[in-house]
Amino acid sequence: MPSFKPNRRKFLKLSVVTSGMALVLGINWSCSGQSSNRSRENEFSPNAWLRVSRDNTVTIIVAESEMGQGPYTLMPMMVAEELEVEWDSIIVERASVDPVYGYQMTGGSSSIRKGWSTLREAGAVAREILREAASRAFKIPFQQCHAQHGRVSNQQSEESLTYGELIEFVDEVEIPGQVTLKEPHEFNVIGHPLKRKDIPEKLNGSARFGIDVQLENQLFATVVHCPVLGGAVERFDSQQASKVQGVKDIFEIREGVAVVASNTWVAFDAAAKLDITWDNGGREHISTQTLRQHIMALDESDPSDIFEVGNPDISGQTTSGTIHNSEYFQPFQAHMTMEPMNCTAYFKPDGDLEIWAPTQSPSAAYDTARSITQSKLETKTRDLGYRLSSGYDESVIVNTTLLGCGLGRRLQQDYVSEVVQIAERFDRPVQLVWNRREDIQHDFYHPMSFHRMSAELGSDGIPVRWQHTIKGAGVSMHGARHSYDITSQRIQLFNTEPTIPTGPWRSVGSHYNVFAIEHFLDELAFKAGIDPVKMRLKLLKHSTRLRNVLEMVVDRVDWQGTTRGKYAYGSAVSSSFGSHVAQVVELEVLSEREQRIRRVVCAIDCGIVINPDIVKQQMEGSIIFGLSAATKPGISIRKGRVEQSNFHDYPILRMNETPEIEVIIAQNKENPGGIGEPGVPPVAPALANAVLAGTGELLYELPLRI
Amino acid sequence: MPDEIYINGQRHGFSSEQEDMPLLWYLRDILGLTGTKYGCGIGACGCCMVLIDDDPVQSCVVPVKSLIGKVVVTIEGLSEDNSHPVQKTWEAEQVPQCGYCQSGQIINAVALLKKHKNPDEEVIKQHMSSVLCRCGTYPRILQAIKAVSRSS
Repeated sequence: MPSFKPNRRKFLKLSVVTSGMALVLGINWSCSGQSSNRSRENEFSPNAWLRVSRDNTVTIIVAESEMGQGPYTLMPMMVAEELEVEWDSIIVERASVDPVYGYQMTGGSSSIRKGWSTLREAGAVAREILREAASRAFKIPFQQCHAQHGRVSNQQSEESLTYGELIEFVDEVEIPGQVTLKEPHEFNVIGHPLKRKDIPEKLNGSARFGIDVQLENQLFATVVHCPVLGGAVERFDSQQASKVQGVKDIFEIREGVAVVASNTWVAFDAAAKLDITWDNGGREHISTQTLRQHIMALDESDPSDIFEVGNPDISGQTTSGTIHNSEYFQPFQAHMTMEPMNCTAYFKPDGDLEIWAPTQSPSAAYDTARSITQSKLETKTRDLGYRLSSGYDESVIVNTTLLGCGLGRRLQQDYVSEVVQIAERFDRPVQLVWNRREDIQHDFYHPMSFHRMSAELGSDGIPVRWQHTIKGAGVSMHGARHSYDITSQRIQLFNTEPTIPTGPWRSVGSHYNVFAIEHFLDELAFKAGIDPVKMRLKLLKHSTRLRNVLEMVVDRVDWQGTTRGKYAYGSAVSSSFGSHVAQVVELEVLSEREQRIRRVVCAIDCGIVINPDIVKQQMEGSIIFGLSAATKPGISIRKGRVEQSNFHDYPILRMNETPEIEVIIAQNKENPGGIGEPGVPPVAPALANAVLAGTGELLYELPLRI
Repeated sequence: MPDEIYINGQRHGFSSEQEDMPLLWYLRDILGLTGTKYGCGIGACGCCMVLIDDDPVQSCVVPVKSLIGKVVVTIEGLSEDNSHPVQKTWEAEQVPQCGYCQSGQIINAVALLKKHKNPDEEVIKQHMSSVLCRCGTYPRILQAIKAVSRSS
């Protein structure tokens, strides 16, 4: 029986006072989600995560950005499991940047893990309040009240009331101090492939992405950035550009030259007619070659990070000692979110700044916007002799729209900074849209990296010593700590400040580190004449979950070794973001020079599965995403500029290049792991391993030419 | 007689300033029909697909003036209530992820099925390759189109 705290009204009042003080002292980003005083009339709102209205509509508030990975469905499923309502009665609302939701950042495949306890508790607390409300309404003991399907029934009679009907009885109910959550075997919602909440609007054009925001009187803007990365505007001539009908203004902002117009086409057209003289800052000498040489030449006496265990020095003096060395190189990659960078801002007559952003971090958007608006206000306030409080400023409103892909690019806030600087000059809403060229040439790229691998094999061909040196600018060890039982290892990172902007890209460091690990392992197996799957299984003796998913894919393809007739098979495994994935690529070897990927089989262990269909979607998508990077050219830099400008020279996989994909999901009761990124790292090495098996060719750089 | 184009069964006029504007931007910024999306501006990604006399066309590369006398159908014009067979099957198969390319995918699929009642896998893949998807919904698009053919 939960122990109740004092009367709810008093509790709410107390928390208002407390949070009021917290607001004055500083923004408290710690996520409580508890007892927001957000009660409205005719609604039951026990916490910041849900509202029930009299007509039994259940609004669930989601504090994660929807970029296709499913939080608008997954988060409500976790609430609904405990709340006991019909799936169809639920509508989804995106959270505002109210600190009650904590610091909002959607990334790292972390949404499910972040919400797992909090959201189920939120649903359970609401349900228990409603049961108590029914107990008072029916004048029966609490234990006799059973909640299910959006109503509470008297277990000993026919009577029941819907949650909407119970609203009038909740006022006097105390919030339970603790609740007991269901065990997995009791789940009715979690684990089921419920239909996604965001799909209907995505079928008819009504889904609103950032670029679709259209407010009354809205202006449209675009920005031209210096093509040489890191350069700036020296001067510009807008004579020709101004002649385009519909241009409102052309001016410089920190990041480049902005054109504001009556519609997007006019803005794009005028921008193309600008005559800009750039100050390239002496950066025209930067190229893929110079950047590659720069990272290769990084001094190796002092690692940025290191993992060492056992006796890793490869001496060649052991009796067994076959030593192998390999070097791998991975290029820059762009994100190419289908929806280009954009953001809308409106400095309103009432003094508020309202922003509509397809962003992965509305909290970062808020911080960015506020720092720009406050910088002027701060100067003015200081001049007047006052100090500004740093509390949560409700006059900066951030609306997070749907995102046409995120992929890590929309964690950055450059588009927010630009639109705020532009919109500041107008008393109308302004929407900033980058054209695709600006989008690909002003990315925060997946960094290039160099990998030096070295291993010493025992007499049985299994590695006993392992060395992995990672060199790059903006690189990390993420994913480099593999799960293999190799007693002596040295993994070291030499990282330096990036010369061109880099940032997180779906699966981050695991993408480039896992390629080196998994392809090198197959190289070792190949040279030792050992089946690479057998080698992996031996080395994963103590990594049960990862070994298990490898066994699942091996079983599914009926693994008979790396070749079978005209087919070659490559395997790879990776644990990342709390989940474990194994993949096998089945390659049809048409000739020495021509191969075709026939099928990719993928097994994932992501612990307790919230929605198996969404897991399947994410694996399918991750594999296709990974295959694009594996088989298509990366980003190249020449004379300080990104050479690529659109999909014609930075292609991604098309449907007629996509193999069959099979996904198997492990069933267990482990705590849920992530699903957005873990499927990406294994595919490139699995493909390289299949090519190795089919042609004997070792591949050291992406893209892999098949 | 003012220059007019037909979009989703309705007549729309355009000014001389708008005649060279790509149909994509006319739809989005002038008419407020934001279902058709901007992805590349060079006809390479297919997000901007609309039907012009039942043919799938990248609206980012056709100027408004070239549409006089043509019948244009956008994603908004397929049905009032997601009841078009392609929309219904897309829902049943849970095709979209982020959804940004899906207007283009659905329009392209509608065009395909108008020409081929029962296209085989090769034909589907060749035709549907005009529209890119960064999220990787291709396997489900293929399944959905096969399912629509089967049910009709």
